[in-house]
Amino acid sequence: LDPGRFLHLGTQAPQCLVAHLNNQVPNESPRAISRTLENDPAKHGEQHVGRHYSISVQELKTVFPHGLPPRFAMQVKTFNEACLMVRKPALELLHYLKNTNFAHPAVRYVLSSALDGEKGTGKTLSLCHVIHFCAKQDWLILHIPDAHLWVKNCRDLLQSTYNKQRFDQPLEASIWLKNFKTANERFLSQIKVQDTYVWNKRESTEKGSPLAEVVEQGIMRVRNATDAVGIVLKELKRQSSQGIFRLLVAVDGVNALWGRTTLKREDKSLIAPEELALIYNLRKMVKNDWQGGAIVLTVSQTGSLFKPRKAYLPQELLGKEGFDTLDPFIPILVSNYNPKEFEGCIQYYLENNWLQHEKAHTEEGKKELLFLSNRNPGLLERLCAYL
Amino acid sequence: MAAPTVKVARGWSGLALGVRRAVLRLPGLTQVRWSRYGPEYQDPQIDKEYYRKPLAQLTEEETYERELRKTQVIKAAPATKTSSVFEDPVISKFTNMMMKGGNKVLARSLMTQTLEAVKRKQFEKYHAASAEEQATIERNPYTIFHQALKNCEPVIGLVPILKGGHFYQVPVPLADRRRRFLAMKWMIAECREKKPRRMLMPEKLSQELLEAFHSRGPVIKRKHDMHKMAEANRALAHYRWW
Repeated sequence: LDPGRFLHLGTQAPQCLVAHLNNQVPNESPRAISRTLENDPAKHGEQHVGRHYSISVQELKTVFPHGLPPRFAMQVKTFNEACLMVRKPALELLHYLKNTNFAHPAVRYVLSSALDGEKGTGKTLSLCHVIHFCAKQDWLILHIPDAHLWVKNCRDLLQSTYNKQRFDQPLEASIWLKNFKTANERFLSQIKVQDTYVWNKRESTEKGSPLAEVVEQGIMRVRNATDAVGIVLKELKRQSSQGIFRLLVAVDGVNALWGRTTLKREDKSLIAPEELALIYNLRKMVKNDWQGGAIVLTVSQTGSLFKPRKAYLPQELLGKEGFDTLDPFIPILVSNYNPKEFEGCIQYYLENNWLQHEKAHTEEGKKELLFLSNRNPGLLERLCAYL
Repeated sequence: MAAPTVKVARGWSGLALGVRRAVLRLPGLTQVRWSRYGPEYQDPQIDKEYYRKPLAQLTEEETYERELRKTQVIKAAPATKTSSVFEDPVISKFTNMMMKGGNKVLARSLMTQTLEAVKRKQFEKYHAASAEEQATIERNPYTIFHQALKNCEPVIGLVPILKGGHFYQVPVPLADRRRRFLAMKWMIAECREKKPRRMLMPEKLSQELLEAFHSRGPVIKRKHDMHKMAEANRALAHYRWW
């Protein structure tokens, strides 16, 4: 049974045929198998390392309403399927999450690049894998896709209605609330607010009303969106210790919370991150003084402000203040592909006919790709895009 | 006489080996494109397969050739030519023509983005098409690029010839390299000039390449215009003397 013979059939066919192959010839296939039919992240184990599992399009919309990293989103659109590779750092994280003790304070896990700190090693996609797992396990997901976007290029900054010293970001807050609603619909009606919040002279949210109302208020009245986000974060933190739901806080680019911003006031003076209400509330969320969930974070230099290009260690990127706040945390190192994963990735691209260059199918071509990309996932993806 | 011979001797020792001596040309014509390598310099052999052939398998001519190359002087390989399996001389030439101000990094990134854009568009079409059409859709950006440029090459060209105080556009057969050059030049000019303001070069180029691949679009039209002009000026063909 030559896997190559099935390359010419449509994209739907390989799934059932690979199942056929998987059952019959698990160890003897001459080429690396790049897919696995195990689509539930909870069941992923050591034997799945280097294989891709697919996420259905409906799940994508509910689990990742904020969107995926742009190049991955392009790949999903081109291939008409979302396939994530199972890798060791993500498996490690999943193992820890499966064995969390929800009575203890939330543990912080920080994904960062290993060794020489290259970019494109797969931190964001490992985070997405973990988020998918938690969504399948029915946790409440608090996902901030990129914290750097909240500290730069903000067009409209309003003075905060709650605290005169701070600033509101209505656009970012309302977008985030919309996506948060899509991701966690079923929880919003179950969780009840434990305080009365007065929005303005005419509108207020009573104690005991569902959280969905606060979210609606934030989406409707864009001026109050930032405060709505603050209320959501506060309520979730308070109530997660009670055990009704399990909370996952996933922030990508958490070093933005303690860096510098490029936002300016009207008198052209710089704003510190703690003067932004969104950042202030998020910092409280990332502290480990609550129980009933976990905090998974990523530090990244791409998108960060005023950090040197070669900086990759959490200590360098977070700064003293950030490191002290996040200390203690469990560091998870994400490195380049190992040879098996590299083979799996190339095989995946070959199966989808993504590598169109004739020479890319040969051994010479593979050796050259290995040399050019140094097994870096991001670089390999960019190389294969034009080959 | 001693003095002139001494001068000549000094002149000879001053010349470095291989520098081209001033060749006598027609008066009034200066050589503008020339290389510092003399005619004895051989081009470098970049192909990896040539060197991987085991010595036992070589024919007599090939062994002779290899022995000969050991005695010859060889030019330095240009930095842009690699022994990569993915190298394509047409793509390199096109990238060089797109380059502005020596910014090869930008030109190369535009080229790779164009190839990626072509690939993604074709994949979209492929997924949207039915099974019979899927067999006809070409997804390899390199074949599309080569075929598009081949479709844009004119067969006959026009050359201004001075006769009786007037310049006449005379139809003339073009050499292969001139045709390839014109195709690439027209493609790049079209994409640079007729681009909507906010559209980026890779997007426009990918659009034009796909249209040329299907033999429609403005570059093909320009080629046809050239052919029509040549046909119209058929009577002037006698002005050509070569």
